[in-house]
Amino acid sequence: MEQAKILIIDDDPDITEATKIVLENQGYSVYTAKDSEAGLEQLKTIGPDLIILDVMMNTLREGFVLSRELKDNPKYKHIPILMVTAAKEKTGFDFKPAAGDEAWLPVEDFLDKPVKPELLLAKVKELLHES
Amino acid sequence: MKTLLRDTNLIKRAFWLIRLRWAATAVLGMGVLFSIKILHVSLPVVELSIIAGAMVLYNVALFVLLRHITSDNKNPAHETISRIITFQISADIIALTSILRYSGGIENPVFLYFVFHMIIASILLSRRQSYFQATLAVLFFGALVILEYFEYIPHYGAARLADYNLYRNSLFVCTTFLVFSTTLYLVVYIMTSISHLLKQQQEWYEIANIQLREKDHLKNDYVLRLTHDIRGHLSAIQSCLNIVNDKIVGPLNEKQMDLIERSYRRAGKCMAFITALLKLTRMKMTGTLEMGYFPLKNSIFNALAAVQNRAARKEIKIGYNIEDGIDEIYGEPVLIEETIANLLFNAARYTPQNGTIKINVKDQQDSILFEVSDTGIGIPQDDIEKIFDEFYRSDNAREVERDGTGLGLSIAKQVIERHHGRIWVKNNPEAGCTFSFTLPKKP
Repeated sequence: MEQAKILIIDDDPDITEATKIVLENQGYSVYTAKDSEAGLEQLKTIGPDLIILDVMMNTLREGFVLSRELKDNPKYKHIPILMVTAAKEKTGFDFKPAAGDEAWLPVEDFLDKPVKPELLLAKVKELLHES
Repeated sequence: MKTLLRDTNLIKRAFWLIRLRWAATAVLGMGVLFSIKILHVSLPVVELSIIAGAMVLYNVALFVLLRHITSDNKNPAHETISRIITFQISADIIALTSILRYSGGIENPVFLYFVFHMIIASILLSRRQSYFQATLAVLFFGALVILEYFEYIPHYGAARLADYNLYRNSLFVCTTFLVFSTTLYLVVYIMTSISHLLKQQQEWYEIANIQLREKDHLKNDYVLRLTHDIRGHLSAIQSCLNIVNDKIVGPLNEKQMDLIERSYRRAGKCMAFITALLKLTRMKMTGTLEMGYFPLKNSIFNALAAVQNRAARKEIKIGYNIEDGIDEIYGEPVLIEETIANLLFNAARYTPQNGTIKINVKDQQDSILFEVSDTGIGIPQDDIEKIFDEFYRSDNAREVERDGTGLGLSIAKQVIERHHGRIWVKNNPEAGCTFSFTLPKKP
């Protein structure tokens, strides 16, 4: 079976690189983008099986805005989103309601930064239905 | 127009003047009765009663007017209140002159009461208005004295008070009136000078206070941005170290592994510190907490579960006693649970092997009292006051744990105070210390 394609959208090049290494080590094909715009471009061309998305990039809520946009778009709404963030500290967003609540946070799951490799892999596997 | 008091205070004072006038009217009535019945001084009761009636009338009118313009949280202009107070004092000066007219004029020492009007005017009104009131009093009282002296109007002698027709004694009248006038002007001069000084100081304090608040906000904003940036860098460092540590990029020898682990641990400590600082700053900057009713017992048990392992490692026994009345309280459950956990972790951290930690939760009707006492190292007496200060750590705590953030108790204090509670600490007579806090049960 062909390995899944994962798109990382994060403005921190080091975290992107670290995440990429972890995922590539497991054989995934990893693509990266540094903001929403570049992410949308990549989406069109590669059609990823999973998106790993950072919340705060150019603006405080860029990731939130993008996730909502994707879930509203019939072409992309099926792609699971794993949100990776330290936003809890800065924006005061309350992360208590479960991820997946369409109206509230339209992503499949989220993890706090820094993410432990084994935790990241477990979540990725789960979202790709590989576990 | 500069007066000492701010508008809201001025309104309060206007009402205060009205209450004072009720007292003055009552005193007038009793004074007349006392003079007639006890001192056997003959007084024109009808005229004095009419004056008292007039005072009652304008006092009621003033009360209704003030009530009307301040109802529904209306904010009347400073000028309006000031004008009402000017009117009040002027009316009082006329009333006092009228009373003196029927009770002996210059022979009645009650004219000294004009000094009160001057003091009140100087505090509540501007300098110009105060001098205006002094002039008004001098003019009215002067007119009365002159008219009586030249017998243009009949003199109502306060018999037995002054038997020698003092009101016709030119030397007495002149001296008394001169002293009276200068006294009033001097009182106004002195009082308005003091008021002016106080007013200036008040303004300075207010400006300084605003500036301090702005600076504090600026500082918090700065800390927030700085800590957030540092957090981002630390996050990247930990992410990279994680990969090496997990040998994803290749094997490590023992020494390399050890160094990577040390780096990771230190980055983690730094992360804990930054996260705590971020939390404290954010809490200081946000206006309201999301509060609701929640079962306090749950929070206590969750916090207990969190600390259990740590305590078990040092064979520390934890006991608790929660009174029956403790149920739901109003607050932010996550913050309260964290605060309790924070105090329990501190107790476990600073209590040596085989020690004990006791939790007592007492029902105090409107509030709860939470106490956690330990058999730990206690707090040096000099540090008790400073222990809740940001970044403050006592020397003996440093010896036990080198890398504490010095922020845990500041956060706890912030949380409790945001809930309108109080937090404090006392050393126990035998060993260790007791941290206590109160929390109101309802908003």
